[in-house]
Amino acid sequence: MSTTVDRADGANSPDSSAPAPAPRATGKGVPLAYAGSGLMTASALMSWCYDPDVLGDLTLYGNPAPVQLTMLVLGLLGLVLAMSAKGPLRRLGAGLDTSRGAFRLGLGAVAYMALTLAAITAQAGGLVNADPGAWVALVGSLVLVVAGRLGVSRPSRNIGAMRAKGWVEILVLVALVAIALLLVADGLTLRDPWAFVLLLLGVGAAAAGLAGANAFTWLGVTASYHSRVLTLAAFVAAFAFPLTQNGSDANMSIATQVIIFSATALGLNIVVGLAGLLDLGYIAFLGAGAYVGAILSGSAFATIDWQPPFLVTVIIGALFSALLGLIIGSPTLRVSGDYLAIVTLAFGEIFRLAMFNLDGNNGPKITNGPNGIPAIPELNFFGFDFGVTHHLFGIPITRFSNYYLLLLCVIALIIVIFSNLNNSRIGRGWVAIREDEKAADAMGVNVFGLKLLAFAGGAFLAGLAGTIKAHHDVSVTPDQYQFLESAFLLAAVVLGGMGTVGGVLLGAVVLKLLPEKLRFFSEYRLLIFGLLLVLMMRFRPEGLVASKRRKLEFHEDDEHLADKVQTIHLEEKTS
Amino acid sequence: MSTAVAHDTGAPDAPSGRDVLLEARGVVMRFGGLTAVDDVDLTVREGEIVGLIGPNGAGKTTFFNCLTGLYKPTEGEVRLSGTVLPPKPGRVVRAGMSRTFQNIRLFANMTALENVMVGRYCRTKAGAFDSILRTPRFRREEAQTRERAQELLDYVGLGRSTELLARNMPYGDQRRLEIARALATDPKVLLLDEPTAGMNPQETADAERLIFKIRDSGLAVVVIEHDMRFIFNLCDRVLCLVRGKTLIEGTPGEVQSDPRVIEAYIGTGDGTEPDDPDDIDAKIEAQVEAREAREGGRG
Amino acid sequence: MNDIPQQLVNGLTNGSLYALIAVGYTVVYGIVQLINFAHGEVFMIGAFGALSTWFLLFRDNTSVWVLPVMIAGAIAASVATAVIMERIAYRPLRHAPRLAPLITAIGISVFLQEFVRLFYGTIPGFPSAKSKIPFPAIDGVTGSPFHLGSVVIQRPALFTMGALLVCGLFLGWFINKTKQGRAMQAVSQDPDTARLMGIDVDRIIVIAFALGAALAAIAGVAQGLQNNNIDFKMGFMAGLKAFTAAVLGGIGNIQGAVVGGLTLGVAEALATVFVTGAWKDVFAFGLLILVLVFRPQGLLGARVVDRA
Ligand SMILES: Nc1ncnc2c1ncn2[C@@H]1O[C@H](COP(=O)(O)OP(=O)(O)O)[C@@H](O)[C@H]1O
Ligand SMILES: [Mg+2]
Repeated sequence: MSTTVDRADGANSPDSSAPAPAPRATGKGVPLAYAGSGLMTASALMSWCYDPDVLGDLTLYGNPAPVQLTMLVLGLLGLVLAMSAKGPLRRLGAGLDTSRGAFRLGLGAVAYMALTLAAITAQAGGLVNADPGAWVALVGSLVLVVAGRLGVSRPSRNIGAMRAKGWVEILVLVALVAIALLLVADGLTLRDPWAFVLLLLGVGAAAAGLAGANAFTWLGVTASYHSRVLTLAAFVAAFAFPLTQNGSDANMSIATQVIIFSATALGLNIVVGLAGLLDLGYIAFLGAGAYVGAILSGSAFATIDWQPPFLVTVIIGALFSALLGLIIGSPTLRVSGDYLAIVTLAFGEIFRLAMFNLDGNNGPKITNGPNGIPAIPELNFFGFDFGVTHHLFGIPITRFSNYYLLLLCVIALIIVIFSNLNNSRIGRGWVAIREDEKAADAMGVNVFGLKLLAFAGGAFLAGLAGTIKAHHDVSVTPDQYQFLESAFLLAAVVLGGMGTVGGVLLGAVVLKLLPEKLRFFSEYRLLIFGLLLVLMMRFRPEGLVASKRRKLEFHEDDEHLADKVQTIHLEEKTS
Repeated sequence: MSTAVAHDTGAPDAPSGRDVLLEARGVVMRFGGLTAVDDVDLTVREGEIVGLIGPNGAGKTTFFNCLTGLYKPTEGEVRLSGTVLPPKPGRVVRAGMSRTFQNIRLFANMTALENVMVGRYCRTKAGAFDSILRTPRFRREEAQTRERAQELLDYVGLGRSTELLARNMPYGDQRRLEIARALATDPKVLLLDEPTAGMNPQETADAERLIFKIRDSGLAVVVIEHDMRFIFNLCDRVLCLVRGKTLIEGTPGEVQSDPRVIEAYIGTGDGTEPDDPDDIDAKIEAQVEAREAREGGRG
Repeated sequence: MNDIPQQLVNGLTNGSLYALIAVGYTVVYGIVQLINFAHGEVFMIGAFGALSTWFLLFRDNTSVWVLPVMIAGAIAASVATAVIMERIAYRPLRHAPRLAPLITAIGISVFLQEFVRLFYGTIPGFPSAKSKIPFPAIDGVTGSPFHLGSVVIQRPALFTMGALLVCGLFLGWFINKTKQGRAMQAVSQDPDTARLMGIDVDRIIVIAFALGAALAAIAGVAQGLQNNNIDFKMGFMAGLKAFTAAVLGGIGNIQGAVVGGLTLGVAEALATVFVTGAWKDVFAFGLLILVLVFRPQGLLGARVVDRA
């Protein structure tokens, strides 16, 4: 990132009045920042623990274990920040808020070390087992925090306007995607919950530092320039993932669950994120698709003796779901939006109860009641059996990988639908409805029709995913589709960022992976998700990855934010 | 009673030879015990500017809401070019009547251009499939929408603010943007609810010019205003509402000199001489300001 | 059908319960136009509050004088929950887009359920709440039912209906006769004007939450007595039903909530006469949707809030 051009001057940017290139202002903390990040980097090459059985082997000098590598990365990041404040990377520093970045990075690193020491204490039997390296890392992190505090924060720097050469930007983006892939692949293999949490914390610390330094603003703008490249890279990475697993199903089964969850969350995102409708029965639409898939699967327990080709089943399942959506949506969407939330909640219950009752005793025998429909055969798509292992270039593609790849295509489809709808007349109509429903109506926007489209369209996609899920899960029962699952999906959408693709994917991956990897966590997962919903709405309603518009909507009175978004928007338009 | 009189005399200056565009008959709007609009008639012909005046709470905005289908009138009917309009805002807009709001209701977090593009919604057709598949029809329509929206922004004098967020725009520009958005629906009749409220004299003069320009392009305009000078410069005909009823309808001159109008505005009961119109103006302005101060606190 | 009178009694019993809870939805909605999804959990916490009071103070004592103290404990727990929730979760979102408080409400609802499930049992001497907990059978209020011809009237049913009667009279007095009650009406008509008239709107909102919570707490005790047990999930279905009742009566309308609750209870009970009981809940929600289609303002009419 050597070549940067500042184009901010020309535009009517409210920020340009701020003193822009004044790295001297931060001078006070810089030596400390060098020292702190230097210590952090060096500590990675030292021994952290006497006991070789803790967190991998942390006892070796000059041979860092994964836990130490994370610290190495954090240290190097700190060095980059220090060098941008005063040193060889000064031009980069012109746009970065280095002090705030250093401060947050330091805090993250302190948390990381605190947890590491806690792990050592817990597993090796006492804090005495910690070696100097660990203490060096902790001290380095603390020094970095102090350095960040001493420097002057310059929050309103216009990094969005900084551009590098096209290929450099693309390279950075592709590298980030590759790193993400490696991290996920690595994270999945971690059996030790401590190591897993540490990895998350390390990623969090790096992200906090970069966010503090405003680097994400640059990333956001750059990503929107090269959105096609980025999407392509992400998909290539996702498709490559099964190839990295060497035929092992342990991770692929989790990955497949994550991806089903992500696909469903993306569908919900159309309803909640684009149309602004709170659908609390979304899981029921997934269930409707799954039941259709199961009943038409040719399972010995299926109640209809007809097994159409899978493509037909998919369409029936999706249409059936959409039909339910129309039936629920058409009365409710006419009245206030609040009613929709509670009626969908009720619908979720109706669905579960109906599946429970259609057992031959209380109603016609369609679903086998609480026993559900087990023994659903594997998918067979034009002779391609999803149940067996295939080989690609000699690399085994297992059962789960088959489903994974199919679902990835579904996700791609949903993303195309999502973004094309968003950038169209229909998407504008949805925004207008979210902004001011009455005014939209008065301007001739078909409010009811557009809401119904989102609602039924969301149901359609859920139904589609459901038919595949039925085969993947092998059996379908009513209790898989209860309200709490809907709340869980909603949490993913809200955490990640309503109305964004990347955010919701992130939210879904994090929320699904955590309980899978952390046994103790799964007991508390609903408690934490409930709390998460409340806290997110209070402190960051736009989610981790914020859609520009959503951010503005949730911060109606934040003039400064509006100006900032405006500036970035103008930058994007003028270049 | 006064409505009948007004219709018999007819407004001398009205271009009565032209076709009737908008015709409202016996519109009544009740909220519980309150009759906000009480048996009001209104006829608007092609190329006419009709003013709607009356003290605060007279029911002017409510009458607009009845015309545009935002409220379902308790009684009465509204015809546009001869066909009865159902009380559905979407249908009314498609039939060719659109409006602005007294308390600006722009889509605050959309850009000026996007706001106007939303106005084109009812004149475009690309559906979900076109949008998802990006069909040629979609691309063509999208380009046309964008082009037309930009034209309209230029027309109202906002050509350079295209990419500004509505919420970041100055107040006067927001009012003009609302007009551009309303024009984007290709209306035959444009209803403006206090288009100059809160504007300085310069902006008011600009707005006046803009409304004339719109009239000259063949649209009929109905405008609610408190600024008397504005009304008298602009309108072919004026309708004065008081407590939901039509007090008088006539030329600006007739309405201006009618003692009942003045009385209604300043509520004299002491039988003193009617004030001079400029004075009324000042009083009304004071009233408007007081109200705005209140609403500002609310918004 | 000779069990219709019996079903009427059952219906009125359930209906009284729905009505008691529905008032909470309606009062809050009338004032802040917020559907407090977590109200079902306030009801659940009321039941747990009563049980905790009993465990702490009376263990094994089931004399009838214990009941008022239990009710007081229930009300304290529910009101505290509701007021805290309003203060820390809803109030900061008062001017946020509609979606925000709705999502918050879902979050609170899930959080409270899980909180009770996970931590109730960790209090020394308290049973785990992961499954149903038996509710004490209070002398006089539970026990052998009364017979009225062929109709059997359970004692807790009488308690529930009596509770609704007392609460209804109290509400009528509170809303129309007290200063706070009249202020509440004023705020629900026009919050801005009410504020200009010197009414402390924040305080009125807290009172609305507290009022709803107190009634829900009484309903929680009634439910405990009726079913002999309580559990952390009991608020979910009851909350949904009560909301249905509130919509049925016209949300925002307090008499409507009572009428809606009783109507829903009776309609459900009669439905069980004609179709099997397994579909009772489906029937109730079907009714909710039908009401929304044909009479969204409810039986008695809701407050109109939207102005152009
Ligand atoms: N939705 C409504 N519900 C009840 N009263 C209303 C409603 N809309 C308007 N009103 C009442 O109707 C009367 C006329 O108001 P309005 O039309 O806004 O007057 P103005 O002539 O100042 O535009 C006022 O008394 C107002 O309070
Ligand atoms: Mg008005």
